[in-house]
Amino acid sequence: MINITDLSFGYAGAESPLLRRVNIQIGVGEFVLVCGPTGSGKSTFLKLFNGLAPHFTSGTLSGNIEIDGHDVTGRQPHELASLVGYVNQQPEGSFVADTVEDEIAYSLEQLGFDPANMHSLVVEFAALVGIEEILERSLLTLSGGQQQRVAIASALAAGQKVLVLDEPTSALDPSAANDIIDLLKRLTRERAITVLLAEHRLERVIAKADSVIVVNGDSSVNKFAPHEAFKEYRLVPPIVELSQKLGWQPAALDPAEASGRSIERSQWLDRVPPQIGKTLLSAEGIVVSYGSTKAVQDISLEAREGEVLVIMGENGSGKSSLIWALQGIGVMQAGTVSTPWGNPRNMSDDSRLDVVAMVPQKAADLLFLNSLADELAESDRVAGVAATTTAGIFAGFAGRVDPKMHPRDLSAGQQLALVLAMQLVKDAPIVLLDEPTRGLDYQAKAQLARMLAQLQMQNKSVILASHDIEFVAQIATRILVLGDGQIVDQRPIEQILGSGNPLASQVSQALKTPGLIAVQQVIR
Amino acid sequence: MRELVAKRADALHPGSWWLLGLSLAMAAGLSQSILIALLISAIAVALSQVFRTSAPWSRSIGFYLTLAAVIVLVRLLFRVLFNSGLETSQIAFSLKDIEINLGFGPSVHLLGAVSWLTLESAALDGLRLAAIVLSVAMANTLANPRRLLKSTPGALYEVATAISVAINLAPQLIESLQRVRRARRLRGRSKKIGALTGTVIPVLEDTLDRSLALAASMDARGFGRRGNLSRAQQVAVRVLSLSALAVFAIGVYLLLSDPALSFVAAIALALGAVEVLLVVRISSLRNVRTRYRRQNLNALDVLVWALAIGVLAFALTGFGGAQ
Repeated sequence: MINITDLSFGYAGAESPLLRRVNIQIGVGEFVLVCGPTGSGKSTFLKLFNGLAPHFTSGTLSGNIEIDGHDVTGRQPHELASLVGYVNQQPEGSFVADTVEDEIAYSLEQLGFDPANMHSLVVEFAALVGIEEILERSLLTLSGGQQQRVAIASALAAGQKVLVLDEPTSALDPSAANDIIDLLKRLTRERAITVLLAEHRLERVIAKADSVIVVNGDSSVNKFAPHEAFKEYRLVPPIVELSQKLGWQPAALDPAEASGRSIERSQWLDRVPPQIGKTLLSAEGIVVSYGSTKAVQDISLEAREGEVLVIMGENGSGKSSLIWALQGIGVMQAGTVSTPWGNPRNMSDDSRLDVVAMVPQKAADLLFLNSLADELAESDRVAGVAATTTAGIFAGFAGRVDPKMHPRDLSAGQQLALVLAMQLVKDAPIVLLDEPTRGLDYQAKAQLARMLAQLQMQNKSVILASHDIEFVAQIATRILVLGDGQIVDQRPIEQILGSGNPLASQVSQALKTPGLIAVQQVIR
Repeated sequence: MRELVAKRADALHPGSWWLLGLSLAMAAGLSQSILIALLISAIAVALSQVFRTSAPWSRSIGFYLTLAAVIVLVRLLFRVLFNSGLETSQIAFSLKDIEINLGFGPSVHLLGAVSWLTLESAALDGLRLAAIVLSVAMANTLANPRRLLKSTPGALYEVATAISVAINLAPQLIESLQRVRRARRLRGRSKKIGALTGTVIPVLEDTLDRSLALAASMDARGFGRRGNLSRAQQVAVRVLSLSALAVFAIGVYLLLSDPALSFVAAIALALGAVEVLLVVRISSLRNVRTRYRRQNLNALDVLVWALAIGVLAFALTGFGGAQ
């Protein structure tokens, strides 16, 4: 279906090309997982298939790409629209129409389909992805999963045989993400559509993929069978790490493949109970609503020294609203938040930094200046602390980084470390993070886990919102699960993430060993 | 029942609502009596309430009502304030006359005695303007702006797309503004991160990123394919469409401003119509793009059109002698 021969691609002025002499074949109906560290050129690689690279990214291309017998090298995206469907991370940012059916019909209109056939095509593809009931709904009223389905239907309605998706599940909660992956798998089987899917959380996809393309970041790109991929690749999902630690051959790619395997009691450790100190934050009866929508309904919680309290729950369950209400800037209709230093809501923006640190969902929002050095210095100045205080905290998290770098050129993990350092400049005892693992690769997640461990050792109280189950299994000391703005589960962490539960971690599912939820507990 | 009625607003071509709204507005402009201005306002508000949908643009009628009230009040206040102060007959009320001598010319009078006649003409002026605002508001709240865009002639397709994209980006812009503001507050009080570096640039960056992503997505879905129209034909289509719009505007303006020029107005409108026909004719030559569910006119539309023309004829003939 797809033949790539001797393909090289590079940006002008870059030291080395992003991709060099790539040779890859992809078959009809193949489900291909594309992975690689952040910044390795995964997205650019995907964009080559429909001409978005180089036409939307600049850069120069050599070599040859052939899709379905057509030489498409250097062709414009709109010339390839009937051949390749493309879906990106944020469907709401790529919608052109206002209702579901008009959106699906968009490329049919652009490609000049006969209006008489359009409706039946729209209905057919809506049904294929399971949204035929909501054809007349406004796109803005849909959930993230539904929006992504609309995007997939509109990318395929004109009969495209290749579907390219750039991290389509990164903004979705685990169940919605799994549904999308299953849908893609079904499309490859039932419709023989060739799917190329980039994804950070490999654990979601790896077992379902037919093959894995690794974009290494050193300008080489290789294709593997799923079981072979991780022999070469450093960034592995927890379940593969487990296989490696226990010496399973071949490695299990998902919990089902681990069935029949077991673990000796001597091979794993109990979770270390945290050193819990006094209460640093307590919230009573918090209510947050936007217009008639109730985001948080009467939630009370306490956070103590040395705790990492994780707020879980599906998208729209109120996690973000709760975190911002605790921080003090977010809206809050009722309830009280108190700390030994007072109510953060009553503090000025400056003095709040003495008590609460906050890392929002898009950490890079906090970066305004032109170099790392400027950001670090400004942070010291605003906080009124000795010069290089922020730089010291940052180095503790991220090691040495060239201070002349532009903050936007830092890796996602480094940006997170920088923002966390700036927020901790006054040594705030309470640290809030809103979905910090979004868009991070395993390496950056490991770095974040180390940062959180440091904070825990310093007796701070960490509260973070996340739906990254495997990450939570590694770092949490306590979990609150929200549903429709209320706490629906607050059992001990080993139970919430234990096997047989909706939020079971892959390690629990694989080994079904009570008390063992994270790969970090396993001794090599 | 509510839903049935609500569906009906969408069943009509959005252009029909605008035709009715504009003809009501013209009638309001021509009206010389408070009663008729009030009647037109009442019709506009009633229509916008009965056919209201749950769409966001449907909720704006409250804003327009406030605007209309403010217009009437301001009109009355100004007339009372800048009264000549020399009225003698039919006095409604008297305020203290303030005489200001500017040092040259006649002195200026503020407030003073206000006659019923003055009040009535001020109220008529205000209510007439309010009725125009409410008529346009009626069309604005009932016509789905996107569907109106979908009905634009093919030659204006790119322009319509640009507007449609702008409508999409507006709520996202608000969202990114809120996000960036919150982020700025987290940074504390910084002199270096002012309004420009702290708000304008990040929001612009965000918008640019989103626009590029959208453009990429549109291109990937086939937008930008050129039709088989020659360059000359494309230019002709664009020139004709824009000049048709201009000629229509001039025609309508003449019709409203001076009844003596209604003959010229009719010629302008006819010219515009011919141009539109030409545009449609040329545009249909390029078959590269098709439309999904183009909105067709139905019996209800014809009814609304008849109503609109009736209102206009009634207004042009002096409201059947009612004034």
